[in-house]
Amino acid sequence: MFEKTLIPVAYGEKPGELRKIGRLLRSLGSESICLFHVSDTDSFFGGSDHSWLMFLKEELEEIGLSVEIRTGSDHIASAIAEAALMEGVDEIYLTAKRHWQIRSILLGSVSRDLLRLADTPVFVHKIRPLLPGEDEGTITRDDLIVLYATDFDTASNRPLPYLMQFKGAWCHILHVRGRRADPRAEERKSSRVKEKLSLLEEELRPYYGRVTSEERIGNAANEVLFVSDQINADVIILGRSRPAFLSSPMGNTAERIVSGSKASIFLVP
Amino acid sequence: MKWTYFRRETVFLLSSGIILLFIICGALQPELLDTAASAIHAGILNNFSWLYLISAFFFLAFVIFLAISKYGTIRLGYDAERPQYTFFGWVAMLFAAGMGIGLLFWGVSEPLVHFLSPPPFLEPLSPDSASFAMRYAFFHWGIHPWAIYTVVSLSIAYFSFRRGMPALISSCFYPVLGDRIYGMPGKIVDVLAVFATVFGTATSLGFGALQIHAGFSHLYGISSAIPVTIGIIIIATALFMASAILGVEKGVQVLSKFNILLAIVLLSFILLLGSTPYILNIFSSTLGGYINNVIDLSLQAYPFAGYQWSRDWTVFYWAWWISWSPFVGLFIARISRGRTIREFVLTVLTVPTLFTFIWFSIFGGSALYLQLNRGVDLASVAGEDVSLALFVFFEHYPFTGILSLIAILLLSIFFVTSADSATVVLGSLTSGGSLAVPLYKKVIWGLSLSAVAIILLLTGGLDALQKMAITAAFPFMIVMIILCYTLWIGLSQEEALPEEEE
Repeated sequence: MFEKTLIPVAYGEKPGELRKIGRLLRSLGSESICLFHVSDTDSFFGGSDHSWLMFLKEELEEIGLSVEIRTGSDHIASAIAEAALMEGVDEIYLTAKRHWQIRSILLGSVSRDLLRLADTPVFVHKIRPLLPGEDEGTITRDDLIVLYATDFDTASNRPLPYLMQFKGAWCHILHVRGRRADPRAEERKSSRVKEKLSLLEEELRPYYGRVTSEERIGNAANEVLFVSDQINADVIILGRSRPAFLSSPMGNTAERIVSGSKASIFLVP
Repeated sequence: MKWTYFRRETVFLLSSGIILLFIICGALQPELLDTAASAIHAGILNNFSWLYLISAFFFLAFVIFLAISKYGTIRLGYDAERPQYTFFGWVAMLFAAGMGIGLLFWGVSEPLVHFLSPPPFLEPLSPDSASFAMRYAFFHWGIHPWAIYTVVSLSIAYFSFRRGMPALISSCFYPVLGDRIYGMPGKIVDVLAVFATVFGTATSLGFGALQIHAGFSHLYGISSAIPVTIGIIIIATALFMASAILGVEKGVQVLSKFNILLAIVLLSFILLLGSTPYILNIFSSTLGGYINNVIDLSLQAYPFAGYQWSRDWTVFYWAWWISWSPFVGLFIARISRGRTIREFVLTVLTVPTLFTFIWFSIFGGSALYLQLNRGVDLASVAGEDVSLALFVFFEHYPFTGILSLIAILLLSIFFVTSADSATVVLGSLTSGGSLAVPLYKKVIWGLSLSAVAIILLLTGGLDALQKMAITAAFPFMIVMIILCYTLWIGLSQEEALPEEEE
């Protein structure tokens, strides 16, 4: 499922950093990488000399990944989203760390646009999991902690196949919803949610060492961020629903989670 | 045992305790109470008068939106339920709730006072100020007060009849507070509703007593000293307490209906014996001006000229309606079970409003007619004593004495029926929404209402009544804004209800 990954790259990319990313993606099951560069024709570096890309390709091939290079132009996010579809990749890899060097900063406009536009799952790499070779060693599937946020609607059911592929040490299922308008409706809703969570736990048990679930009432983004910090999650998996009317100025739930989280995000459109 | 009682009766003990403290403070240190109330009132007006305007407009827009939205077809009760009262019976009861001491007190006075003292950008006693006076009388007594009542009554009716919760304001907070509605946060919401009801009703009772006194003084030359007003309140208290304690609910209903008939007779008399075409022209042109300017009127604070005028009048009225809203809202909710939201909102917003417009056109319009065409200086009388203007106005009609006595009778019955209903509502709010209110609670609330009215009259008369209405309404206005949100949450979950019922 994660066999082919598209990594958008820009001039000045650090080969050492990309190598670490390659090792992380390999540990998650990637075998093939598509390095994608969007040329800016007005830029000093926007010429046809793509030798730096070849250098990056070689770095990744050295760790056993098959690499291809593609380039595009025009609106960056749209070009990346389109290339991901054309190349038939399984995911787009983004990092919120490289460009700003501040790990929990708000996403830039390209990343925000891409999260909205992409029809391919997007993996946004934040602070956790640490890249191989950093202070605390590399991540392996044996200690991967995954948080799956769902409200049981269509959008949040779409990540289920990916969730099964991720595998890992612990999968915590978080259901967030608003409170019902009266105690009886609340009780009924709560018991239905618990029932569904229990079924989902059973479904996911073969793929994880430990599966737990929890139901919370409140704002979806706030609760996901809170629980993610509480359980020290490495990856938050969630579905992207169609943005609600007027949600853009404030950012929709997925965008808020991506911006505020220390854990990486796997967003399935 | 004591602890269980305390937990069960927290709302009653807290609210009655604080109101008792207010009464004791007012009796022993009236200056201190006046200073404190004035400081709070000034703080609220200086900083939040805009919020009253925006909130009232928002309440109106919100309920209209609900009526015309897909939620308009939702029934205030279970889907199979049908209204308990016939349409005409229901509308008559809405009249009863909407008509009260205020209409008699301000019906003649308000247009005259605006005519005499308009904002600085208008020339007093001019045709422009007459038009302004009528438009603002319509505005202050028009669709906005009913929108304010509608927010509260719709919330109570929805959460109580459709969601099966107790008829309490705190029940409407379940979507945000959850089970904490049974704890201190929920109790605080109910205590705020009790405060608003006590001070809102006490303000009306104060107005009523002042005007009954003014009527007697004018007719029989009785002393106009404040102890006489207090005496009137004490006599009225004895009457409404007897009615509330004996539980003569049917008697009160008969009195209410009789009062409405009497009010209609009085109204028809003034219409037919006054300048009828003039009055009807005033009704027509003021209605046009009102409809044409309702958005501007709603949000107009006159910050460059007339700011003080807007605070003295519009903000006072909005606060007064808000402070009345738990009481009237609860009453309207009870009689509206089984109606759809659309039917409820559209009827409550239009029918009583139209009646009020007719009332103001007839009383205010006739007063302006006398002032402008007959050279009768009623405006100066209203400027000096707003409670006296009605009786001086009657002097220019045949059967003056009978008309004045009818007005005094109407005021007295309104006083008794309003205070009786308020006592029962306060008892219910402090008994977990139950209608079986213990006797001692009825006594305590009845006495409290009158005592607060007396204390306010003693500390600063009409001014103190208005200040306390504004102060008590402020926290409840915040409660009402949250009520809109919780009602919205409840309604937006309606589609999921059948699925969750499975």
